Amino acid sequence: MKLIHLYPQAMSLYGEYANLVLLTRLLEELGEPVERRTVEPGEAPDLAGADLVYMGAGTERTQKAALAWLAPHREALGQAAEHGLVLFTGNAMELLGASITDRNGTLFQGLGFGDFATVETDKRVPHDVIARTGLFEAPVVGFMNKCSVTSGVDNPLFTALDLGAGNERDKGPEGFYHGNVIGTHITGPVLVKNPAFLTWVADKLYKNRGETMPPVPAGLDWMDMAQRAYQVTLEELSALLR
Amino acid sequence: MKLALAILLCKAIRFVGKLVGKGSSLPGQIALKFCPDALGRVKLPPYVVAVTGSNGKTSTVEMIAAVLRSAGKDVVYNAEGSNQIEGVTTLILTHCTLGGRMRGDVLLLESDERYARYSFKWFHPTHFVITNLYRDQLTRNGHPEWVYDAILPALHQDTTLVLNADDPLVSCFARGHEKVRWFGLEAWDGATAEHHGVYDDGAICPVCKEKMEYTLYHYNHIGHYRCPSCGHCRHTPDFAATGLDLKEGVLELDGDTRLALSFRSIYNVYNILAAWSLCRLCGVDKAVIARVLGSYILKNGRMVTFTLGKHHGTLLTSKHENSVAYDTNLRYIRDWEQPCTVVVMVDAISRKYFTGETSWLWDIDFDLLDAPHVERVVLCGKYVNDLALRFAFSRISREKIACYPSIPDAIQALERNGEEEIFVVTCFSDRDKLLDKVKREN
Ligand SMILES: [Zn+2]
Repeated sequence: MKLIHLYPQAMSLYGEYANLVLLTRLLEELGEPVERRTVEPGEAPDLAGADLVYMGAGTERTQKAALAWLAPHREALGQAAEHGLVLFTGNAMELLGASITDRNGTLFQGLGFGDFATVETDKRVPHDVIARTGLFEAPVVGFMNKCSVTSGVDNPLFTALDLGAGNERDKGPEGFYHGNVIGTHITGPVLVKNPAFLTWVADKLYKNRGETMPPVPAGLDWMDMAQRAYQVTLEELSALLR
Repeated sequence: MKLALAILLCKAIRFVGKLVGKGSSLPGQIALKFCPDALGRVKLPPYVVAVTGSNGKTSTVEMIAAVLRSAGKDVVYNAEGSNQIEGVTTLILTHCTLGGRMRGDVLLLESDERYARYSFKWFHPTHFVITNLYRDQLTRNGHPEWVYDAILPALHQDTTLVLNADDPLVSCFARGHEKVRWFGLEAWDGATAEHHGVYDDGAICPVCKEKMEYTLYHYNHIGHYRCPSCGHCRHTPDFAATGLDLKEGVLELDGDTRLALSFRSIYNVYNILAAWSLCRLCGVDKAVIARVLGSYILKNGRMVTFTLGKHHGTLLTSKHENSVAYDTNLRYIRDWEQPCTVVVMVDAISRKYFTGETSWLWDIDFDLLDAPHVERVVLCGKYVNDLALRFAFSRISREKIACYPSIPDAIQALERNGEEEIFVVTCFSDRDKLLDKVKREN
């Protein structure tokens, strides 16, 4: 499998590189050779045959730079999304929409995979998250650290949040999921924190190739650690709801 | 009249508050309600010094206070760390005459990077020392540029900025500012040509976002940098560490002053350098600064030694959610080179608020512990699984690692086994869970 990481230094503000580290390990455990490539700012990315194109969060200013780096390659990314998965986390998700308006009122044209618009605010909303999705059973835990409101998402990734700020309102629907393009404002190593999400992504990569994912081998110690860590976090965060 | 009453009120409430053990923010809060512009009306000392930055504020402020006092100056500072506007108001008004004149030669303030603009709405420092801007408490600070934007409005044109030249983001504060003095570390044996660490916040230029070039790195993204695209670069320091040998514990300042390091960490070097620069700007004699800083033992308890069973141990207080603080302590352990066990505890991520956020563990360069003299790694606390998972993706051999969800269990196991040196790396929020169970030295 070919995993492509866009701007790993500039756009990995919250340890998000670890998403790809764990996904790589899982695929390798499943017997799949993995090629992980990075794309640096200003580089023309070779996205042909990519199974996954990933980008994490950056500062608001770096996010605009990332948009400028990637915009000339919008078409190539669209083609990659026909067969491979595009996953953008944190404020990288905002790039997938129609536009981003910054705090000064300047409007930046988005990549246009979705018809939604993001407006940045002076207020930062850092918050733990519990999110529900119809894609798999386990609720997703994580953290959100955004200073924006995203409106006009018709097809969110998460139908509702038990905890945290959704696209437009507290506890409302969150993220974006259309075809092979996924965005969520949950920052950090969300796949590391959520083994169910990690497994779902791996499964999706196989499905995109018309293959069936082999069963995850039992007794992977790191998978057990991830599962126990997930349980602790879910219990801790759920306690906040009581 | 209003000011005099506010001062009186502040002093009275502070006096009563001290008797009943109450904090220092309430008196200022009430005084501000009574006279909102009180801070704009008082007559401040000739030197008003503020220190801010992600790491090292408290240590730097304490060193500056020690030096200036040795030089015979009357220093008033917020030793209690109440660095929001209410606390600052309490500090200033309780040191004022009823006529509104503050006593002392120097007002020294540790300033919270997020609240600086509120504190300095009514007055501005003569000198503003900015040590560094790192990823720190991202769960509430957002990110370093967000903090930069929060500090910027607090900087008055009349204020002399005393900036870390080796930090590319801190250096941006000089843009469009006239009065700037720089401090920095020159090349030394520990500097590297390549970047080390899990992430590189110096990879792109903070000004134009193009690729940055470094001729050397001191640690993380601190070093000698230049942006080929826009020209943003490290300035030649006005105050420099011209020689550094961490192994021997020797630091040379401005080419002619040597002092011994009581704590041999690069982190400490920058704190000393910041204090040195500021004290020189206040006109203190080099020899006096060197004498005080050379024998200075950090008082704030970031480093505590103890015994546990047959072990001698050292607690290296880091800050959770601050990978640079962790990296610095891990580097210290790597350079120790004697057989040791390293304990990492993550139980409560913060003292002040709840979060289950552990992303920052992935930003810490735990590979620094991949050394033969690190014989065992003990992981413990509520987030032991997150730690174990992080270590499973490090170079540390699995056989060296032991995990305990319970901190007392981890301590008991250590107490019963071995006699090697122990290093404990954890945060203020968790350190007492260890310190309550061991015999502290001194
Ligand atoms: Zn530049």
